[in-house]
Amino acid sequence: MWLRSAQTVTQKVAIAIVAITVLLAGSLALPQAASAYPYYAQEAYKNPREATGRIVCANCHLGAKPTEVEVPQSVLPDTVFEAVVKIPYDTSIQQIQGDGSKGPLNVGAVLMLPEGFKLAPEDRISDEMKEKMGELYVQSYSDDQPNILVVGPIPGEQYQEITFPILSPDPKSDKSIRFGKYSVHVGGNRGRGQVYPTGDKSNDTVYNASATGQIAAISKTEEGGFTVTIKEADGKTIDETIPPGPELLVAEGQDVKSGDALTNNPNVGGFGQVDKEIVLQSPNRIKGLMAFFAMCTLTQIILVLKKKQVEKVQAAEMNF
Amino acid sequence: MATVKKPDLSDPQLRAKLAKGMGHNYYGEPAWPNDLLYIFPVVILGTIALCVGLAVLDPASIGEPANPFATPLEILPEWYLYPVFNILRVAPNKLLGVVLMGSVPLGLLIVPFIENVNKFQNPFRRPVATTVFLFGTAVTLWLGIGAAFPVSQALTLGLF
Repeated sequence: MWLRSAQTVTQKVAIAIVAITVLLAGSLALPQAASAYPYYAQEAYKNPREATGRIVCANCHLGAKPTEVEVPQSVLPDTVFEAVVKIPYDTSIQQIQGDGSKGPLNVGAVLMLPEGFKLAPEDRISDEMKEKMGELYVQSYSDDQPNILVVGPIPGEQYQEITFPILSPDPKSDKSIRFGKYSVHVGGNRGRGQVYPTGDKSNDTVYNASATGQIAAISKTEEGGFTVTIKEADGKTIDETIPPGPELLVAEGQDVKSGDALTNNPNVGGFGQVDKEIVLQSPNRIKGLMAFFAMCTLTQIILVLKKKQVEKVQAAEMNF
Repeated sequence: MATVKKPDLSDPQLRAKLAKGMGHNYYGEPAWPNDLLYIFPVVILGTIALCVGLAVLDPASIGEPANPFATPLEILPEWYLYPVFNILRVAPNKLLGVVLMGSVPLGLLIVPFIENVNKFQNPFRRPVATTVFLFGTAVTLWLGIGAAFPVSQALTLGLF
Protein backbone atom coordinates (compact mmCIF):
# COMPACT_ATOMS: atom_id res chain seq x y z
CA MET A 1 0.00 0.00 0.00
CA TRP A 2 2.74 2.41 1.09
CA LEU A 3 4.80 1.28 -1.82
CA ARG A 4 2.02 1.97 -4.25
CA SER A 5 1.35 5.44 -2.87
CA ALA A 6 5.07 6.16 -2.98
CA GLN A 7 5.05 5.01 -6.55
CA THR A 8 2.15 7.28 -7.48
CA VAL A 9 3.86 10.16 -5.71
CA THR A 10 7.05 9.62 -7.67
CA GLN A 11 4.94 9.27 -10.79
CA LYS A 12 3.18 12.54 -10.07
CA VAL A 13 6.47 14.28 -9.34
CA ALA A 14 7.86 12.92 -12.58
CA ILE A 15 4.80 14.15 -14.45
CA ALA A 16 5.12 17.54 -12.80
CA ILE A 17 8.79 17.77 -13.75
CA VAL A 18 7.98 16.78 -17.31
CA ALA A 19 5.14 19.30 -17.33
CA ILE A 20 7.33 22.11 -16.09
CA THR A 21 10.10 21.18 -18.52
CA VAL A 22 7.69 21.03 -21.41
CA LEU A 23 6.09 24.32 -20.47
CA LEU A 24 9.38 26.08 -19.88
CA ALA A 25 10.95 24.61 -22.99
CA GLY A 26 7.86 25.54 -24.95
CA SER A 27 7.67 29.07 -23.68
CA LEU A 28 11.41 29.67 -23.99
CA ALA A 29 12.00 28.06 -27.35
CA LEU A 30 8.69 28.89 -29.04
CA PRO A 31 7.10 31.78 -27.20
CA GLN A 32 4.47 32.17 -29.93
CA ALA A 33 3.54 28.56 -30.44
CA ALA A 34 2.28 27.85 -26.96
CA SER A 35 -1.33 28.76 -27.58
CA ALA A 36 -3.39 25.62 -27.29
CA TYR A 37 -2.78 23.04 -24.69
CA PRO A 38 -4.17 19.55 -25.09
CA TYR A 39 -1.63 18.96 -22.38
CA TYR A 40 -3.76 20.77 -19.81
CA ALA A 41 -6.64 18.42 -20.54
CA GLN A 42 -4.39 15.37 -20.36
CA GLU A 43 -3.23 16.56 -16.96
CA ALA A 44 -6.65 17.24 -15.52
CA TYR A 45 -9.00 14.67 -17.04
CA LYS A 46 -8.63 10.91 -17.25
CA ASN A 47 -11.22 10.81 -20.02
CA PRO A 48 -11.48 13.81 -22.33
CA ARG A 49 -15.19 13.24 -22.78
CA GLU A 50 -17.50 14.06 -19.91
CA ALA A 51 -20.59 12.04 -19.07
CA THR A 52 -22.73 14.67 -20.79
CA GLY A 53 -20.86 14.06 -24.03
CA ARG A 54 -18.93 17.30 -23.84
CA ILE A 55 -15.27 17.14 -24.74
CA VAL A 56 -13.30 18.86 -22.03
CA CYS A 57 -11.47 21.29 -24.35
CA ALA A 58 -14.73 23.26 -24.26
CA ASN A 59 -14.10 24.02 -20.61
CA CYS A 60 -11.28 26.40 -21.50
CA HIS A 61 -11.96 27.21 -25.15
CA LEU A 62 -15.23 29.01 -24.69
CA GLY A 63 -15.98 30.09 -28.26
CA ALA A 64 -18.16 27.77 -30.32
CA LYS A 65 -16.95 27.15 -33.86
CA PRO A 66 -17.65 24.33 -36.31
CA THR A 67 -15.51 21.23 -36.64
CA GLU A 68 -15.92 18.48 -39.21
CA VAL A 69 -14.59 14.98 -39.49
CA GLU A 70 -14.38 12.46 -42.28
CA VAL A 71 -14.05 8.78 -41.47
CA PRO A 72 -14.91 5.79 -43.66
CA GLN A 73 -18.40 4.33 -43.19
CA SER A 74 -16.82 0.97 -42.43
CA VAL A 75 -13.35 -0.51 -42.13
CA LEU A 76 -12.00 -4.03 -42.28
CA PRO A 77 -9.99 -5.36 -39.33
CA ASP A 78 -6.24 -4.71 -39.18
CA THR A 79 -6.40 -2.04 -41.87
CA VAL A 80 -4.86 1.40 -42.02
CA PHE A 81 -7.30 4.16 -42.92
CA GLU A 82 -7.34 7.89 -42.50
CA ALA A 83 -9.55 10.10 -40.38
CA VAL A 84 -9.57 13.73 -41.47
CA VAL A 85 -10.46 16.43 -38.98
CA LYS A 86 -11.34 19.79 -40.51
CA ILE A 87 -11.01 22.94 -38.46
CA PRO A 88 -12.09 25.71 -40.81
CA TYR A 89 -11.48 29.36 -39.99
CA ASP A 90 -10.67 32.60 -41.73
CA THR A 91 -6.87 32.69 -41.84
CA SER A 92 -6.84 36.46 -42.33
CA ILE A 93 -8.04 36.87 -38.73
CA GLN A 94 -5.38 37.30 -36.08
CA GLN A 95 -5.68 36.61 -32.41
CA ILE A 96 -4.19 38.15 -29.31
CA GLN A 97 -1.07 36.44 -28.08
CA GLY A 98 -0.02 36.02 -24.49
CA ASP A 99 1.84 39.33 -24.50
CA GLY A 100 -1.04 41.28 -26.04
CA SER A 101 0.34 41.43 -29.58
CA LYS A 102 -1.50 39.98 -32.56
CA GLY A 103 -0.55 36.71 -34.19
CA PRO A 104 -1.86 33.80 -36.23
CA LEU A 105 -4.13 31.15 -34.76
CA ASN A 106 -3.05 27.68 -33.83
CA VAL A 107 -5.22 24.61 -34.09
CA GLY A 108 -5.49 21.38 -32.19
CA ALA A 109 -7.70 18.34 -32.29
CA VAL A 110 -8.71 15.35 -30.21
CA LEU A 111 -9.92 12.18 -31.87
CA MET A 112 -11.68 9.63 -29.66
CA LEU A 113 -11.76 6.33 -31.49
CA PRO A 114 -13.56 3.18 -30.40
CA GLU A 115 -11.77 0.77 -28.10
CA GLY A 116 -8.93 -1.03 -29.89
CA PHE A 117 -8.37 1.50 -32.67
CA LYS A 118 -5.02 3.23 -32.52
CA LEU A 119 -2.52 5.33 -34.39
CA ALA A 120 -1.06 3.39 -37.31
CA PRO A 121 2.58 2.39 -36.85
CA GLU A 122 5.08 4.22 -39.06
CA ASP A 123 5.88 1.22 -41.31
CA ARG A 124 2.25 0.64 -42.26
CA ILE A 125 1.45 4.16 -43.38
CA SER A 126 1.48 4.57 -47.15
CA ASP A 127 3.64 7.28 -48.71
CA GLU A 128 0.55 9.04 -49.97
CA MET A 129 -0.89 9.22 -46.47
CA LYS A 130 2.46 10.36 -45.08
CA GLU A 131 2.40 13.26 -47.50
CA LYS A 132 -1.08 14.27 -46.37
CA MET A 133 -0.08 14.04 -42.74
CA GLY A 134 2.91 16.28 -43.12
CA GLU A 135 5.24 16.75 -40.21
CA LEU A 136 2.50 16.11 -37.72
CA TYR A 137 3.25 14.73 -34.31
CA VAL A 138 0.23 12.82 -33.06
CA GLN A 139 0.27 11.51 -29.53
CA SER A 140 -2.13 9.33 -27.62
CA TYR A 141 -4.08 10.95 -24.81
CA SER A 142 -2.54 8.70 -22.19
CA ASP A 143 -0.58 5.47 -22.05
CA ASP A 144 -3.60 3.33 -21.26
CA GLN A 145 -5.82 5.06 -23.83
CA PRO A 146 -4.08 4.59 -27.19
CA ASN A 147 -7.49 4.95 -28.86
CA ILE A 148 -7.68 8.65 -27.97
CA LEU A 149 -5.40 10.77 -30.13
CA VAL A 150 -4.36 14.34 -29.50
CA VAL A 151 -2.59 16.78 -31.75
CA GLY A 152 -1.63 20.40 -31.26
CA PRO A 153 -0.93 23.17 -30.93
CA ILE A 154 0.07 23.41 -34.58
CA PRO A 155 -0.04 26.36 -36.98
CA GLY A 156 -3.57 26.65 -38.33
CA GLU A 157 -2.56 28.02 -41.70
CA GLN A 158 -1.11 24.65 -42.72
CA TYR A 159 -3.33 22.36 -40.74
CA GLN A 160 -6.95 23.28 -41.27
CA GLU A 161 -7.24 19.65 -42.30
CA ILE A 162 -5.52 17.21 -40.00
CA THR A 163 -5.09 13.66 -41.28
CA PHE A 164 -4.78 10.90 -38.70
CA PRO A 165 -3.56 7.49 -39.89
CA ILE A 166 -5.54 4.90 -37.94
CA LEU A 167 -5.08 1.17 -37.57
CA SER A 168 -8.25 -0.82 -36.97
CA PRO A 169 -8.12 -3.70 -34.49
CA ASP A 170 -8.49 -7.35 -35.39
CA PRO A 171 -11.08 -9.32 -33.38
CA LYS A 172 -9.23 -12.50 -34.35
CA SER A 173 -6.10 -11.56 -32.43
CA ASP A 174 -7.81 -9.53 -29.71
CA LYS A 175 -10.81 -11.31 -28.24
CA SER A 176 -12.14 -8.22 -26.47
CA ILE A 177 -12.84 -6.54 -29.80
CA ARG A 178 -16.08 -7.27 -31.60
CA PHE A 179 -17.34 -6.41 -35.03
CA GLY A 180 -20.04 -3.77 -35.06
CA LYS A 181 -20.74 -0.09 -35.17
CA TYR A 182 -19.01 2.31 -32.82
CA SER A 183 -19.02 6.04 -32.20
CA VAL A 184 -16.13 8.35 -32.94
CA HIS A 185 -16.00 11.63 -31.04
CA VAL A 186 -13.96 14.47 -32.42
CA GLY A 187 -13.11 17.86 -31.05
CA GLY A 188 -11.33 20.56 -33.01
CA ASN A 189 -10.10 23.87 -31.71
CA ARG A 190 -8.62 27.01 -33.13
CA GLY A 191 -7.17 29.86 -31.14
CA ARG A 192 -6.19 30.30 -27.54
CA GLY A 193 -8.16 29.33 -24.48
CA GLN A 194 -10.08 31.75 -22.33
CA VAL A 195 -9.54 30.05 -19.00
CA TYR A 196 -6.58 28.21 -17.53
CA PRO A 197 -7.18 24.89 -15.77
CA THR A 198 -6.62 26.73 -12.50
CA GLY A 199 -9.68 28.87 -13.26
CA ASP A 200 -7.68 32.03 -14.04
CA LYS A 201 -8.67 34.00 -17.09
CA SER A 202 -6.27 34.32 -19.98
CA ASN A 203 -5.87 37.64 -21.73
CA ASP A 204 -7.98 36.36 -24.64
CA THR A 205 -11.33 36.83 -22.98
CA VAL A 206 -13.80 39.40 -21.71
CA TYR A 207 -13.22 40.99 -18.30
CA ASN A 208 -16.19 41.94 -16.15
CA ALA A 209 -16.70 44.31 -13.27
CA SER A 210 -16.72 42.48 -9.95
CA ALA A 211 -18.56 45.25 -8.11
CA THR A 212 -21.26 47.85 -8.68
CA GLY A 213 -20.10 51.43 -8.53
CA GLN A 214 -18.42 54.23 -10.41
CA ILE A 215 -15.15 53.93 -12.25
CA ALA A 216 -12.83 56.18 -10.29
CA ALA A 217 -9.64 55.73 -12.25
CA ILE A 218 -8.12 53.87 -15.16
CA SER A 219 -4.36 53.52 -15.24
CA LYS A 220 -2.01 51.73 -17.57
CA THR A 221 0.13 48.96 -16.18
CA GLU A 222 3.72 48.28 -17.10
CA GLU A 223 2.89 45.25 -19.22
CA GLY A 224 0.47 47.24 -21.35
CA GLY A 225 -2.73 46.31 -19.58
CA PHE A 226 -5.00 48.43 -17.43
CA THR A 227 -6.01 48.77 -13.84
CA VAL A 228 -9.61 49.87 -13.50
CA THR A 229 -10.55 51.20 -10.09
CA ILE A 230 -14.22 50.89 -9.21
CA LYS A 231 -15.54 52.95 -6.32
CA GLU A 232 -18.53 51.35 -4.63
CA ALA A 233 -21.41 53.31 -3.13
CA ASP A 234 -20.05 52.83 0.39
CA GLY A 235 -16.68 54.26 -0.59
CA LYS A 236 -14.76 51.00 -0.93
CA THR A 237 -12.54 50.83 -4.00
CA ILE A 238 -11.83 47.70 -5.98
CA ASP A 239 -9.03 47.33 -8.50
CA GLU A 240 -9.65 45.28 -11.61
CA THR A 241 -6.45 44.26 -13.36
CA ILE A 242 -6.81 43.71 -17.07
CA PRO A 243 -3.87 42.17 -18.88
CA PRO A 244 -2.71 43.46 -22.27
CA GLY A 245 -5.03 42.28 -25.01
CA PRO A 246 -8.68 43.07 -24.51
CA GLU A 247 -9.79 46.62 -25.34
CA LEU A 248 -11.46 48.74 -22.69
CA LEU A 249 -15.12 49.58 -23.22
CA VAL A 250 -15.53 51.84 -20.19
CA ALA A 251 -14.30 55.33 -19.35
CA GLU A 252 -13.55 57.14 -16.12
CA GLY A 253 -16.63 58.38 -14.31
CA GLN A 254 -18.89 55.75 -15.82
CA ASP A 255 -21.28 53.79 -13.62
CA VAL A 256 -20.97 50.03 -13.86
CA LYS A 257 -22.97 47.20 -12.40
CA SER A 258 -21.42 44.03 -11.09
CA GLY A 259 -20.99 41.63 -14.00
CA ASP A 260 -20.90 44.34 -16.67
CA ALA A 261 -18.24 43.90 -19.31
CA LEU A 262 -15.27 46.21 -18.86
CA THR A 263 -13.60 45.07 -22.05
CA ASN A 264 -14.54 43.67 -25.42
CA ASN A 265 -14.17 39.95 -26.08
CA PRO A 266 -11.04 39.57 -28.20
CA ASN A 267 -11.53 35.83 -28.72
CA VAL A 268 -11.69 34.95 -32.43
CA GLY A 269 -11.21 31.22 -32.06
CA GLY A 270 -13.36 28.49 -30.71
CA PHE A 271 -13.94 24.83 -30.17
CA GLY A 272 -16.33 22.48 -31.90
CA GLN A 273 -17.09 18.83 -31.47
CA VAL A 274 -18.80 16.30 -33.67
CA ASP A 275 -19.81 12.66 -33.40
CA LYS A 276 -19.50 10.10 -36.18
CA GLU A 277 -20.03 6.40 -36.43
CA ILE A 278 -17.74 3.79 -37.91
CA VAL A 279 -18.42 0.13 -38.61
CA LEU A 280 -15.74 -2.46 -37.91
CA GLN A 281 -16.73 -4.85 -40.66
CA SER A 282 -15.98 -8.56 -40.90
CA PRO A 283 -14.79 -9.72 -44.33
CA ASN A 284 -16.58 -13.04 -43.80
CA ARG A 285 -19.88 -11.28 -43.22
CA ILE A 286 -19.43 -9.45 -46.51
CA LYS A 287 -18.71 -12.71 -48.30
CA GLY A 288 -21.73 -14.35 -46.69
CA LEU A 289 -23.89 -11.39 -47.64
CA MET A 290 -22.71 -11.57 -51.25
CA ALA A 291 -23.51 -15.30 -51.39
CA PHE A 292 -26.94 -14.64 -49.88
CA PHE A 293 -27.64 -11.85 -52.37
CA ALA A 294 -26.60 -14.10 -55.25
CA MET A 295 -28.90 -16.82 -53.95
CA CYS A 296 -31.82 -14.40 -53.58
CA THR A 297 -31.32 -13.00 -57.07
CA LEU A 298 -31.11 -16.48 -58.58
CA THR A 299 -34.29 -17.55 -56.78
CA GLN A 300 -36.12 -14.45 -57.98
CA ILE A 301 -35.05 -15.03 -61.58
CA ILE A 302 -36.09 -18.69 -61.42
CA LEU A 303 -39.49 -17.73 -59.97
CA VAL A 304 -40.12 -15.25 -62.77
CA LEU A 305 -39.02 -17.79 -65.39
CA LYS A 306 -41.31 -20.38 -63.87
CA LYS A 307 -44.17 -17.90 -63.98
CA LYS A 308 -43.50 -17.24 -67.65
CA GLN A 309 -43.55 -20.96 -68.30
CA VAL A 310 -46.86 -21.40 -66.47
CA GLU A 311 -48.30 -18.49 -68.46
CA LYS A 312 -47.43 -20.27 -71.68
CA VAL A 313 -49.22 -23.40 -70.46
CA GLN A 314 -52.19 -21.29 -69.41
CA ALA A 315 -52.29 -19.62 -72.82
CA ALA A 316 -52.05 -22.97 -74.64
CA GLU A 317 -54.72 -24.66 -72.58
CA MET A 318 -56.89 -21.54 -72.23
CA ASN A 319 -57.23 -22.63 -68.63
CA PHE A 320 -57.35 -19.71 -66.26
CA MET B 1 -47.22 -11.03 -72.40
CA ALA B 2 -48.84 -11.67 -69.10
CA THR B 3 -51.91 -13.82 -68.99
CA VAL B 4 -54.98 -11.59 -68.99
CA LYS B 5 -58.51 -12.93 -68.65
CA LYS B 6 -61.17 -10.88 -70.44
CA PRO B 7 -64.41 -10.13 -68.54
CA ASP B 8 -67.10 -12.50 -69.63
CA LEU B 9 -69.98 -10.07 -70.10
CA SER B 10 -72.41 -12.84 -71.00
CA ASP B 11 -72.19 -14.04 -67.40
CA PRO B 12 -75.21 -12.54 -65.60
CA GLN B 13 -73.57 -13.01 -62.22
CA LEU B 14 -70.59 -10.87 -63.27
CA ARG B 15 -72.87 -8.25 -64.79
CA ALA B 16 -74.81 -8.03 -61.55
CA LYS B 17 -71.59 -7.58 -59.60
CA LEU B 18 -70.22 -4.99 -62.01
CA ALA B 19 -73.46 -3.04 -61.70
CA LYS B 20 -72.77 -2.73 -57.99
CA GLY B 21 -69.18 -1.60 -58.61
CA MET B 22 -67.78 -5.02 -57.63
CA GLY B 23 -66.53 -8.13 -59.40
CA HIS B 24 -63.18 -6.78 -60.50
CA ASN B 25 -61.50 -10.04 -59.52
CA TYR B 26 -63.43 -11.90 -62.26
CA TYR B 27 -61.11 -10.68 -65.00
CA GLY B 28 -57.52 -9.49 -65.49
CA GLU B 29 -54.42 -11.39 -64.43
CA PRO B 30 -55.35 -14.37 -62.27
CA ALA B 31 -54.10 -14.04 -58.72
CA TRP B 32 -53.43 -17.74 -58.31
CA PRO B 33 -50.91 -18.96 -59.19
CA ASN B 34 -49.43 -16.17 -61.34
CA ASP B 35 -49.18 -13.51 -58.64
CA LEU B 36 -49.45 -15.30 -55.33
CA LEU B 37 -47.19 -18.23 -56.06
CA TYR B 38 -44.51 -16.63 -58.24
CA ILE B 39 -44.33 -12.88 -57.81
CA PHE B 40 -45.07 -12.58 -54.10
CA PRO B 41 -42.00 -14.66 -53.16
CA VAL B 42 -39.88 -12.46 -55.46
CA VAL B 43 -40.96 -9.37 -53.51
CA ILE B 44 -40.66 -11.09 -50.13
CA LEU B 45 -37.15 -12.29 -50.94
CA GLY B 46 -36.15 -8.83 -52.14
CA THR B 47 -37.38 -7.28 -48.90
CA ILE B 48 -35.55 -9.84 -46.79
CA ALA B 49 -32.35 -9.30 -48.80
CA LEU B 50 -32.56 -5.54 -48.28
CA CYS B 51 -33.06 -5.97 -44.52
CA VAL B 52 -30.19 -8.43 -44.22
CA GLY B 53 -27.92 -6.21 -46.32
CA LEU B 54 -28.66 -3.20 -44.14
CA ALA B 55 -28.15 -5.24 -40.98
CA VAL B 56 -24.72 -6.38 -42.15
CA LEU B 57 -23.45 -3.20 -43.78
CA ASP B 58 -24.87 -0.68 -41.32
CA PRO B 59 -25.48 -2.50 -38.05
CA ALA B 60 -27.22 -0.75 -35.16
CA SER B 61 -24.71 0.48 -32.64
CA ILE B 62 -25.04 -0.08 -28.94
CA GLY B 63 -25.42 3.35 -27.39
CA GLU B 64 -23.70 4.63 -24.32
CA PRO B 65 -25.07 3.46 -20.99
CA ALA B 66 -27.75 5.85 -19.83
CA ASN B 67 -26.84 8.21 -17.02
CA PRO B 68 -29.82 10.02 -15.50
CA PHE B 69 -27.50 12.51 -13.79
CA ALA B 70 -25.80 13.69 -16.96
CA THR B 71 -27.96 15.69 -19.33
CA PRO B 72 -26.65 15.33 -22.86
CA LEU B 73 -25.31 18.44 -24.56
CA GLU B 74 -28.03 18.42 -27.16
CA ILE B 75 -31.41 17.11 -26.18
CA LEU B 76 -33.57 15.98 -29.04
CA PRO B 77 -36.45 13.50 -28.92
CA GLU B 78 -37.12 10.91 -31.60
CA TRP B 79 -37.50 12.44 -35.06
CA TYR B 80 -41.29 12.08 -35.20
CA LEU B 81 -41.57 14.31 -32.13
CA TYR B 82 -39.42 17.13 -33.58
CA PRO B 83 -42.34 19.42 -34.55
CA VAL B 84 -44.04 19.35 -31.14
CA PHE B 85 -40.67 19.50 -29.42
CA ASN B 86 -40.03 22.72 -31.31
CA ILE B 87 -43.42 24.10 -30.28
CA LEU B 88 -42.67 23.25 -26.67
CA ARG B 89 -39.28 24.96 -26.60
CA VAL B 90 -40.37 28.04 -28.54
CA ALA B 91 -43.49 28.68 -26.40
CA PRO B 92 -42.70 31.24 -23.70
CA ASN B 93 -44.17 29.19 -20.86
CA LYS B 94 -44.68 25.53 -20.24
CA LEU B 95 -48.46 25.63 -19.81
CA LEU B 96 -48.86 27.38 -23.15
CA GLY B 97 -46.52 24.80 -24.66
CA VAL B 98 -48.61 21.94 -23.34
CA VAL B 99 -51.81 23.59 -24.56
CA LEU B 100 -50.31 24.09 -28.01
CA MET B 101 -49.14 20.49 -28.11
CA GLY B 102 -52.59 19.29 -27.08
CA SER B 103 -54.20 21.46 -29.74
CA VAL B 104 -52.48 19.46 -32.49
CA PRO B 105 -54.58 16.27 -32.12
CA LEU B 106 -57.65 18.31 -31.11
CA GLY B 107 -57.32 20.46 -34.23
CA LEU B 108 -57.01 17.36 -36.39
CA LEU B 109 -60.03 15.89 -34.64
CA ILE B 110 -62.39 18.72 -35.65
CA VAL B 111 -61.41 18.71 -39.34
CA PRO B 112 -63.84 15.90 -40.33
CA PHE B 113 -66.64 17.64 -38.44
CA ILE B 114 -66.06 20.94 -40.24
CA GLU B 115 -65.93 19.20 -43.60
CA ASN B 116 -68.84 16.92 -42.78
CA VAL B 117 -71.27 19.10 -44.74
CA ASN B 118 -69.38 18.14 -47.90
CA LYS B 119 -70.52 14.92 -49.58
CA PHE B 120 -67.54 14.49 -51.93
CA GLN B 121 -64.63 12.14 -51.41
CA ASN B 122 -62.26 13.71 -53.94
CA PRO B 123 -59.71 15.92 -52.13
CA PHE B 124 -60.02 18.56 -54.87
CA ARG B 125 -63.70 18.89 -54.00
CA ARG B 126 -63.01 19.28 -50.28
CA PRO B 127 -61.17 22.58 -50.11
CA VAL B 128 -61.24 23.05 -46.34
CA ALA B 129 -59.81 19.64 -45.45
CA THR B 130 -57.24 19.80 -48.23
CA THR B 131 -56.11 23.28 -47.23
CA VAL B 132 -55.82 22.27 -43.59
CA PHE B 133 -53.87 19.17 -44.60
CA LEU B 134 -51.41 20.98 -46.87
CA PHE B 135 -50.91 23.85 -44.43
CA GLY B 136 -50.48 21.40 -41.55
CA THR B 137 -47.93 19.36 -43.47
CA ALA B 138 -45.91 22.46 -44.34
CA VAL B 139 -45.98 23.72 -40.74
CA THR B 140 -45.02 20.29 -39.41
CA LEU B 141 -42.03 19.99 -41.73
CA TRP B 142 -40.96 23.56 -41.00
CA LEU B 143 -41.15 23.08 -37.23
CA GLY B 144 -39.49 19.68 -37.49
CA ILE B 145 -36.52 21.12 -39.34
CA GLY B 146 -36.40 24.02 -36.88
CA ALA B 147 -36.05 21.61 -33.97
CA ALA B 148 -32.55 20.73 -35.16
CA PHE B 149 -31.51 24.42 -35.14
CA PRO B 150 -30.52 26.48 -32.11
CA VAL B 151 -33.49 27.99 -30.27
CA SER B 152 -32.76 31.44 -31.72
CA GLN B 153 -33.32 30.07 -35.23
CA ALA B 154 -36.08 27.62 -34.33
CA LEU B 155 -38.76 29.48 -36.29
CA THR B 156 -36.71 31.29 -38.91
CA LEU B 157 -34.39 28.36 -39.72
CA GLY B 158 -31.70 31.01 -40.01
CA LEU B 159 -33.11 32.10 -43.36
CA PHE B 160 -34.19 35.58 -42.31
